[in-house]
Amino acid sequence: MCGNLLETRDLRVEVNGVPILGGVDLEFKPGLVYAILGPNASGKSTLAKTIMGLPEYKITGGDILYNNESILRKTITERAQLGIAYAFQTPPSISGVKLDDFICRICPDYQCKAESDTLMGETCASKNDLYDNFERLGIRNLAKRDLNDGFSGGESKRSELFQVLSMRPKIMFLDEPDSGLDYDSLKVVGRELRTLREKGDTTLVIISHHRYVLEFLEVDKVYILQQGRLVYTGDMSDIPALEEKGYEKFLSEVIG
Amino acid sequence: MTSDDMKKRAESAKEKQAQYGEDIDLDNYEYAVSEPSEIESIDDVSPEDQSLVREVGFDTSQENVSGSFIQFDTESILADVLLTQEGLEVLPMSQALKQYDWLKEYLWKAVPVDVDKYTARSELEIYNGYFIRAKAGTKIAMPVQSCLIMKKNQTVQNVHNIIIAEEGSELHIINGCATPSNVEQSLHLGVTEFYVKKNAQLTFTMVHRWSEKTDVRPRSAAIVEENGTYISSYALLSPLKSIQTFPKVRLFGSGAKSDLYSIVYGSKKSKYDIGGLLSLEAPRTSGKVISRSIATDSSEIIARGDLVGLSGQTKARLECDGLLISDSAVIRAVPMLAAHAEGAELSHEATVGKVGAEQLNYLMSRGLNEEEATSLIIRGFVKLKVPGLPPALQSSIDDAIKMSLEGGM
Ligand SMILES: Nc1ncnc2c1ncn2[C@@H]1O[C@H](COP(=O)(O)OP(=O)(O)O)[C@@H](O)[C@H]1O
Ligand SMILES: [Mg+2]
Repeated sequence: MCGNLLETRDLRVEVNGVPILGGVDLEFKPGLVYAILGPNASGKSTLAKTIMGLPEYKITGGDILYNNESILRKTITERAQLGIAYAFQTPPSISGVKLDDFICRICPDYQCKAESDTLMGETCASKNDLYDNFERLGIRNLAKRDLNDGFSGGESKRSELFQVLSMRPKIMFLDEPDSGLDYDSLKVVGRELRTLREKGDTTLVIISHHRYVLEFLEVDKVYILQQGRLVYTGDMSDIPALEEKGYEKFLSEVIG
Repeated sequence: MTSDDMKKRAESAKEKQAQYGEDIDLDNYEYAVSEPSEIESIDDVSPEDQSLVREVGFDTSQENVSGSFIQFDTESILADVLLTQEGLEVLPMSQALKQYDWLKEYLWKAVPVDVDKYTARSELEIYNGYFIRAKAGTKIAMPVQSCLIMKKNQTVQNVHNIIIAEEGSELHIINGCATPSNVEQSLHLGVTEFYVKKNAQLTFTMVHRWSEKTDVRPRSAAIVEENGTYISSYALLSPLKSIQTFPKVRLFGSGAKSDLYSIVYGSKKSKYDIGGLLSLEAPRTSGKVISRSIATDSSEIIARGDLVGLSGQTKARLECDGLLISDSAVIRAVPMLAAHAEGAELSHEATVGKVGAEQLNYLMSRGLNEEEATSLIIRGFVKLKVPGLPPALQSSIDDAIKMSLEGGM
């Protein structure tokens, strides 16, 4: 009706019987960039994982709508295929599955044929693209490694970003894509996201504590969660004050 | 020891049950009554048998190998060395024993004849097998392929092999064993003794495919001398009735090294009891025992690993990982560590479990459905990379794994 790509309505979620989200209403419109901010343990990751459909996050009330239809009954796979993606904060390692093969598998663009070990020395245009992209993200060294196995924090972030970008989703939730990155990697990530924003066909939802990426991307809307509730909706102009005052002071001033 | 003494020792162990594994009544089988005949060339092997040996990785064109050996039951034997391959010998054991008097010294030296009733029986019945030797200083780059096929019902294939990598040599062997699935009940007794001399390198790769009616009791052991390296990899991917094997590697000379890898894909009602023991007997010896087990259907897998540190300045590691795919299957990982000397650094890691929910959810969030995600995790799990193995042998393992997964899933 109002052109939301995705929205949560009075979303209530518990984990192991403990209530985490206590009724959250959020809207995400096509092509815009959102920041979800809030103190540690306020429920930011929980929100994103619940939208992705991870089973330990139990919905006890409310709804999640995607193009105005409830997705509560949809499996993780179905949600992913609808165009929802989540970049994990700490992805599990999968032995024997190489990162480059996996990206080939999940990305419609790279036609990488069978397993890479049977492709020794063989090159095809799309495989070259794949490696260019590895190079650009500064993780060429991870291409032949087992998925997430021993990746450093910063490597993990870029590998997650690469995977999620490769899926060409309609909306992506990036869970602290900037934490643990050095300045150069931060720039790389910023640039990737900026390019995506300029294309304008993906909704970006960034969970972050840092100013750099949010400002570089010029986020359209800022949501602040606190103790499992949405307590403030603002925009990029709030970020400097937030950084200066911290959540507690900032929130007490704006909501009294 | 004279051969009479040997027979006496064997007699004394005739009823001795094995340490592990289900007991088998050895009198239920027929044994060979005469020495095997010789096959002149691979062209004399029937097309059916050729395709059977190909299934376990045997290259019938013999283009990329340095030598070949095939034995059908205990009946007929082909032994062949590429003419241009200097320093390599591949002989039927019966012939080698006639040819080399000194070879007797190697019989039952690594594997004691009285370990159990299987070794004893092997000695007491007519046996054959292969003798493979790389002479001192020769590097045999292309692998030797050996293949043991059991086709007869209700019989025992009785094999005794000796492999010697002389000082400074390099030798790679791939061994395939197979039973066609129409074989009624059979028993494979395989004794293999490996001798890796100073600075020599030996890799031994096994890809086996038994039938559901076959019991398998290999008895093998290796003695590795100063700075020698012995790498063994075992891929067992077919169902069988039962197998029990627990090869022992003695790292005898300082700096000796050995890695034992195994991958077992358990299916049907098969019972697998597979292990490996490294005995670190000299300073600076080291090694690994790495096993991966996947249990489907109602299979039972026991994965044992045993590290014995008899000397200081030694280091060894055990990794047993098991993945359970079926509720009626069982995997038991049994890691054992025994340090008898200060400075023996032994460690282990064992995991047994189902496909993890966290991994599944993660892959599903990337658009794979549950079945695809499960299969990807399993395929990843069974990949067995053996450092130090020539690429051709690594791909034999990879191909066999791929084939059995495609058949089984
Ligand atoms: N899988 C889980 N098991 C137990 N508690 C959890 C789990 N996930 C989140 N929580 C709890 O929920 C609260 C919110 O966590 P989270 O959503 O990760 O916060 P944020 O991402 O905002 O830092 C925290 O108290 C956290 O400990
Ligand atoms: Mg979080």
